[in-house]
Amino acid sequence: MVEVSRRHVLQAAAIAPLARGVPVWAAEPDGVTIGWPSDVTSWDPNQRFTPDAHAIMKAVFDQPLDQDAKLKLSPGLITKWDMAADAKSLTLDFRDDVLFHDGSKMTAADFRWTFFERIKAGHKVDIAQSMRKVTDIEVVSPTRAIMRFDSPAPTVPVWLAFLGSFLVPKAYMEKVGVEEFARKPVGTGPYKLVEHQMNARIVLERNEAYWGPKPKMKRVTIEIIKDPSARVAAVQSGQVDITINVPVRELTRLKALPGLATDLTPVTKVILLQVRNDEGFADQNIRLAAHHAIDKKALSAAFYAGAAVPLAVLGVPGSPGYLDDYKFDFDPERARALLAKSGYSMDKPAKIRMASTNGQFPSDYDIARAIVQMWKKVGIEADLEVIEYAKYFELNRGNKLPETTLYTFDNATGDPEIYTGYLLNPKLPFSPWKDMNFGQKVIDQFNVADETARIAGWRALNREASEMGAAMPLLQSVLTVVRKKGLAVVPYGNGWILPQAMAWG
Amino acid sequence: MILWATLGRRLVTAVPILCVVSVLLFTALRVLPVDPAAMSMPPNATKEEIEAARREMGLDRPLPEQYGLWLGRAMRGDFGRSIHHRRDAGALVRETLPGTIELALAAMAVSSVLGLGGGLLLFGLRERTMEPVAETVTTLMMSVPEFLWALLFIFVFGVALQAMPFTGRLDPGMKLPGLTGFLVLDAVLTGRLDILWSALVHLVLPAVALGLAFAPPIMRVLRASLIDTYHEDYIRQARLRGVSEGRILIRHALKNAVLPTLTLMGVQFGFLFGGSLLVEVIYSYPGMGNLMVDAVRNADLPIIQVVGLTYCVVVLVINSVVDGLYLVLNPRLRPR
Repeated sequence: MVEVSRRHVLQAAAIAPLARGVPVWAAEPDGVTIGWPSDVTSWDPNQRFTPDAHAIMKAVFDQPLDQDAKLKLSPGLITKWDMAADAKSLTLDFRDDVLFHDGSKMTAADFRWTFFERIKAGHKVDIAQSMRKVTDIEVVSPTRAIMRFDSPAPTVPVWLAFLGSFLVPKAYMEKVGVEEFARKPVGTGPYKLVEHQMNARIVLERNEAYWGPKPKMKRVTIEIIKDPSARVAAVQSGQVDITINVPVRELTRLKALPGLATDLTPVTKVILLQVRNDEGFADQNIRLAAHHAIDKKALSAAFYAGAAVPLAVLGVPGSPGYLDDYKFDFDPERARALLAKSGYSMDKPAKIRMASTNGQFPSDYDIARAIVQMWKKVGIEADLEVIEYAKYFELNRGNKLPETTLYTFDNATGDPEIYTGYLLNPKLPFSPWKDMNFGQKVIDQFNVADETARIAGWRALNREASEMGAAMPLLQSVLTVVRKKGLAVVPYGNGWILPQAMAWG
Repeated sequence: MILWATLGRRLVTAVPILCVVSVLLFTALRVLPVDPAAMSMPPNATKEEIEAARREMGLDRPLPEQYGLWLGRAMRGDFGRSIHHRRDAGALVRETLPGTIELALAAMAVSSVLGLGGGLLLFGLRERTMEPVAETVTTLMMSVPEFLWALLFIFVFGVALQAMPFTGRLDPGMKLPGLTGFLVLDAVLTGRLDILWSALVHLVLPAVALGLAFAPPIMRVLRASLIDTYHEDYIRQARLRGVSEGRILIRHALKNAVLPTLTLMGVQFGFLFGGSLLVEVIYSYPGMGNLMVDAVRNADLPIIQVVGLTYCVVVLVINSVVDGLYLVLNPRLRPR
């Protein structure tokens, strides 16, 4: 006979609420809970370029064009696209069976509204910059439109599948206004927004009238968990079914836990050293010596479990601008020889300044410190300073960046214009390289209409940039994913983790 | 009456303080090497487009003129638009402030209970063999910052015991009642016991993590005040009158010793309010701290400004309330 004393009762009463504390919300049979590192800043999808929220946006809104898992441009709301030979007009055919979440039909007029009329009406949308060459969009019929450009715009199809390019309904937005639209968004995507608690949670429900493949998950709950340790804890405790961007060093431990699986996938994000063409880096020998002195394989092994692919050019394996046959060797001897040509040695080191973020991407500051040590061994003395990511563009616009800056650049499309063109165009704020001899070649390349010549041109510029030390590509970045073993996800080459592509296996 | 008069006087004197703080805040943020116009544009914007945005935002005007414009709008409740969210900055703060106040009040309750209880315990243990142990424990508590408690609790109660939720303010599937933004109050007002329970459970870990870090100073001040009070004549006289030790402590000593502790708690609330930044981020708690961390990361100056001012207002209000309570508890301070 077990005696139950008053103390036992009180203890049980004290523990009971704890046991009830955790609701069982993860691992619903047709639902998924995702631990996501950042929030959606606005539900007006054209307003801000937010790569981190792009996958969430893709659940609620559709893009005119899509990309498959291998980054190939594929039909979305647009079934067929035809760029004119001079790349100054683009004919688009739209699906005829797409409904917005409010039941209204999507037509080419909505496309014109999104990519032309909103911009002309003065709406503060970031796509005004990506669509700045657009002079008009002619609506030929409800399922056909022709985009016209003031100069060759060969990458517009790529941009129609990239940041901020999501279709919004003209009638609804005109009726309720932009502010109300951002509060109650209406898209054509596979999910409808049910609830958004800023900086806490997003709840999506399947759009049963979706024109495309029906998503397996009926309900998607996205917990915004910004702290990486808390994300690890959330997936480990089962409070979420899947999370991303956890520290690489945690993967081995988490993989060993029962019920969890981990993925470490190379993505389209590149890690590189941005380079000035003056001051301590005016001399090409020093720039090339600095590049030859970096052991990229060692950096990958130390900070990314060897999964980050060492790069020689601005592009990732599989992307059109990547040069499979081109290598940039780790060669300390050659680095010393180059420095000696310019009168520098271990005893008389070349002195430069270097900037790095700390915590902007995994192990950024540690990579910078390792590079400083590698340089020291060949005769380059770098003074490392930490900058905030938000200040990068500010410093660059003011020409105040140091000789080199550790930087990461995301290009979900893989297109070489968005790698090399953006990173080395002296007129854009991404590039600290301001030399117009090379810069003009880059600018001119933006206007090449023929696709074959365009890609060939970027590949040639990629090689030239590395050979003259205009950029030092380091590594292809990786995406870390931790998920419950039964949950299947589609690994996209650009790092998208899409709720509509998840299923319990 | 005295309490209200004191509160009124305090709030009137708060106006010039608020003005000075707004000038300092505005100036400090404008001299930072951050360009709000550039931050409001996508990275591929041209210099001309950024210049146009700068003119539109009034950033090309002299600093005093910019401040005047900002103040004029702020008086009408318009604190500008968030660069990052492209929404009314005041509305964003209004949405998130109740969550932070609720968290700070819960943490204050935790630190008060622990602080006052611990203070009495420390006082009870004075000159006993356990005193050094108790001292060590309070020192240890003081040396652990709130974010470390936060992470520790997640791993103990969230991961190891899986006993407590550690993200958000409510269980998924529950909708915010949306009356005042104070979830506990809203749940009571709408009679939703399920929401009340969920809100309380979600408050436990962040409130305890925040409160634990602030409890030790209260313990120490209360203990020291009690020791001082016990040297007073009226305590000796109470003993001579045969009053029990327990009654002396509760009825005579504590009433006087608690006054400096109350002042400290008032000051602590301000720190606690500010200290919620990291705790909110770690627990994905949708409060003003979380908003502020985002704002700093994205150099969202309108948000930083309005959060800074809100912080100042909260501190001023709390100080006024503490001053009022002081008068209620200590008749000697009341004007004759």
